[in-house]
Amino acid sequence: MSWQTVLTAMLPEHLLLAGIVLLICIEIASSRPRGSATVSLLVLTAAVVAAAWLHYDGYAAAPFAGQYSVDPASLLAKAVVLALAAPVVLLARDEFEHSRFYLLVLSSLYGVCMILSADSLLTLFLGLELMSLPVYVLVLLAFRRPECAEAALKYLVLSGTATATFLMGVSLLYGASGSLAVPTFATALTSGADALTSAAVVLVIVAFFVKAAIVPFHTWAPDAYEAASVPVTAYMATVIKAAVLLAVLRLFGTVPLSRPIIELLAILPLVSIVWGNLAAMRQMSFRRMIAYSSIAHAGYLFYAFLGDGPGRFEAVVFYVLAYGLMNLIAFASLPPSDDDATRDHLDHLRGLFHRQPYAAIMIGIAMLSLAGIPPLPGFIAKFLVFKNVMAAGYTTYAVLGLVASYLGIYFYLRVIQYLFMSPEERAPEAGRGLALGAGLICLVPALLIAVLPGWVIAYL
Amino acid sequence: MSDAALLNVVLYLPVLGIPLLMAAPHAGFARGVSLAVMMVQFLLTALLYARFDGAVEGLQFETRLPWIADWGVYYQIGLDGYNVLLVLLTAFLGPLVVAGAFTAIQKNVKLFYAVVFFIQFTMLGTFVAQDLFLFYLFWEAMLIPMFLLIGIWGGEQRIYATLKFVLYTAFGSILMLAAVIYLVYSINQTTGITSFAFADLYRSQLPLSVQTVLLLAFGLSFAIKVPMVPLHTWLPDAHVEAPTAGSVILAGVLLKMGTYGFMKLGFPLFPDATRLLAPEIMTLAVIGIIYGACLALVQTDIKKIIAYSSISHLGYVMLGLISIDLLGIQGAIIQMVSHGLTAGGLFLMVGMIYERCHSRELAAYGGLAKLLPLYSVFFMILTLASIGLPGTSGFTGEFLVLLGAFNSSWHQYQQGAGYPLVLSVGAVAGVVLGALYMLWFAQRFLFGGDKAPHRPLADLNLRETAILGAIAASVFGLGLFPDGPMQKTELAAKQYQELVRSERVAGAPPQQRLVATEPSTGSAP
Repeated sequence: MSWQTVLTAMLPEHLLLAGIVLLICIEIASSRPRGSATVSLLVLTAAVVAAAWLHYDGYAAAPFAGQYSVDPASLLAKAVVLALAAPVVLLARDEFEHSRFYLLVLSSLYGVCMILSADSLLTLFLGLELMSLPVYVLVLLAFRRPECAEAALKYLVLSGTATATFLMGVSLLYGASGSLAVPTFATALTSGADALTSAAVVLVIVAFFVKAAIVPFHTWAPDAYEAASVPVTAYMATVIKAAVLLAVLRLFGTVPLSRPIIELLAILPLVSIVWGNLAAMRQMSFRRMIAYSSIAHAGYLFYAFLGDGPGRFEAVVFYVLAYGLMNLIAFASLPPSDDDATRDHLDHLRGLFHRQPYAAIMIGIAMLSLAGIPPLPGFIAKFLVFKNVMAAGYTTYAVLGLVASYLGIYFYLRVIQYLFMSPEERAPEAGRGLALGAGLICLVPALLIAVLPGWVIAYL
Repeated sequence: MSDAALLNVVLYLPVLGIPLLMAAPHAGFARGVSLAVMMVQFLLTALLYARFDGAVEGLQFETRLPWIADWGVYYQIGLDGYNVLLVLLTAFLGPLVVAGAFTAIQKNVKLFYAVVFFIQFTMLGTFVAQDLFLFYLFWEAMLIPMFLLIGIWGGEQRIYATLKFVLYTAFGSILMLAAVIYLVYSINQTTGITSFAFADLYRSQLPLSVQTVLLLAFGLSFAIKVPMVPLHTWLPDAHVEAPTAGSVILAGVLLKMGTYGFMKLGFPLFPDATRLLAPEIMTLAVIGIIYGACLALVQTDIKKIIAYSSISHLGYVMLGLISIDLLGIQGAIIQMVSHGLTAGGLFLMVGMIYERCHSRELAAYGGLAKLLPLYSVFFMILTLASIGLPGTSGFTGEFLVLLGAFNSSWHQYQQGAGYPLVLSVGAVAGVVLGALYMLWFAQRFLFGGDKAPHRPLADLNLRETAILGAIAASVFGLGLFPDGPMQKTELAAKQYQELVRSERVAGAPPQQRLVATEPSTGSAP
């Protein structure tokens, strides 16, 4: 370990840390901090550029051997997740003037980076906690109704339980193997013969099911998503979900799975897809609907682990990218309103095409893509996942998953129906420039994925 | 410009027209732009059609570029005998749909034409795609503009109708997607090659059980779109609630995507399963012919009469395709085009009368022949073409289909299977029923008592006359001179026949190998 390696390998993390320190200084120095959004946006951009540059350079190093390492794949994942966070910051500029929001987001992102580089289960645990703790506060930050506190508490308690479960699993694994290295888990997955190891594996997987909101561990998600403000929900639905799945990816590696684990990894996600899609049909709150949609999408994402080892990284990163971009487009294009409850209600979207045609088209594209309708990115992502599952020989699970995804078409179409097929009631209005800008920023890569998926996949 | 590039221009012209529409300052400009774009597209397609050589086997004007290289997906489009007439039909109906909507659509005009453009793009794409992935992409992408078209500009029950249409179609598509993935990767496991190209898939060898399951999955999707009884219930709702343009697109082109799917993919990809299930498919086709005709007989809504007649007419197409007889196949192709022209034309005419009288109830009309002589002439032409009067396109199609069906079923009768012959006789009964419901409809609509509103009605104006004149001319053209189109499709019909007759059950060698290496598994599947 040399200081140069530490400096270079952890450059994105250092930039985030510098941003955090800078934001604290601004907070202390000025009574009315104004530039915090700009500062955090610049820091994020710099971190994305740093990660992308290191990835492009093919950089690989282990600044803290056995604890922390970077390689091109993890750098690419970092670049993707950090890039997904940038539009969130743009979105938040209208909502949060105070620097607290940005401080918390940057800290949480530092945790995400730790997860993506973790070599030991303890580092992974640290990363997970660092990522989650600021989010409990973020949910509560735009405290609007008493239910917000309830939702935040629910999230805190359930997420805490997941953490405890994870630690329990890790300690069992340590007891069985005497090692805390991440590959231990992958080895345990393949061997998994004795009860101790099996219990450890199941506990860790269940912990991630809670974090990713897989049925039946999903109950926190609809409440938390609804209670939080738009940028925070967008952050949870894209960055946190992506980070959790990438953490699972890091744990699983490319090892082939053995039979009992396959059942665990297929059945609960399948139930998630079905239940998420069914429950979303009844929602009238946009964020709650997106929460159920994200429960279903977590199901698709876990499906990706049924595929063969080398294809997993490609499938998960592509899916996370397509899914994240589409959620961000939808959140960025939501029409503004003075009252949060009104804004969140689906009725607020009625006739939006007549008021703000471009916002309506953007939300429409996002919904269709989430529904997996070609030629949008969501379809390619879903195809990639199911193709891998089918190629690995799990035909029944693939067909069941596809049929379950059919259930989701209705509620996405309902949003389109509200947007385009309701009569105009109000006069045309201007959208929020910055948020729509964030949407446009996401639309460009999304269309790129749609037109040239081959190029993106070949790169992953 | 090379012809291959020209085909790409034809395909993407509507998409390129969308930004132009969005920038249009007012509705009139948007109408003009869309008509111009559609006209250019039709002229270019006509040029391609003229240059298409019926004596050349395989694809013409082909473009093949790697698209998703890692998965073996190619951007491959081209014209062949299967799709050349359907592409021409689609491009031909484009300007008519656009011009037909000039006065009918007053709400969200720009969006309307953008949606129509997108539909045109996806329909053409479905026909010209020569790669299964690309085909599926276009096939499924067509849902969304159609959802918008019916849902925004439709009648009172439009939301119900459009959701029903999309949910029906999407269910078929999702199973087809599963079948597509399974097909490609099961071929990969035996040959090691991952390819979505139709030409490669035609060489696939699959066990009969797998073929049957895959044919059912593909077939469900196609049968919903055709639609074949009993999966047809979305069609009357969609037709009745759709705006005129939507009905014309639905009847004119969209339904043919189903029969085209069977012709290009369903039957040739799984020939052994097709031959196994041929009696069942034939039964469904004949049930469709007769059931559709019977339902058309008792409808009181003008649009529903034509909607149910579509079910009946597409039954003939299916009958021709499943006969696996050269004449029957060619008849099926002609019948597809003919039905596109007549049903499309009839829906346009219903739209024209609806603009004048605001009613679709047959009971509200009567004696139009006196009030609207020109309109009545065109209506009779299309009615007679729909019945299959010699000299019109309908005759060529239906006659050839029946000839093919009898030819193949007589052959089977001599070998001891009498059932297909009974079905063929049943299909002839459909012709009689078809004449009955269409003539009765025309009689009540045009001639029956003097129930028409007691106010002067304007007869067809120049725009409407031009639209209907073009359709009538092509109906007679196809009826009197079917040689040209049939020459262009002959080789494709032969190829289809060969493919569907070929034995492609996964052969003995791989099974022997399986048994040899793993004796414990016993009999391999």
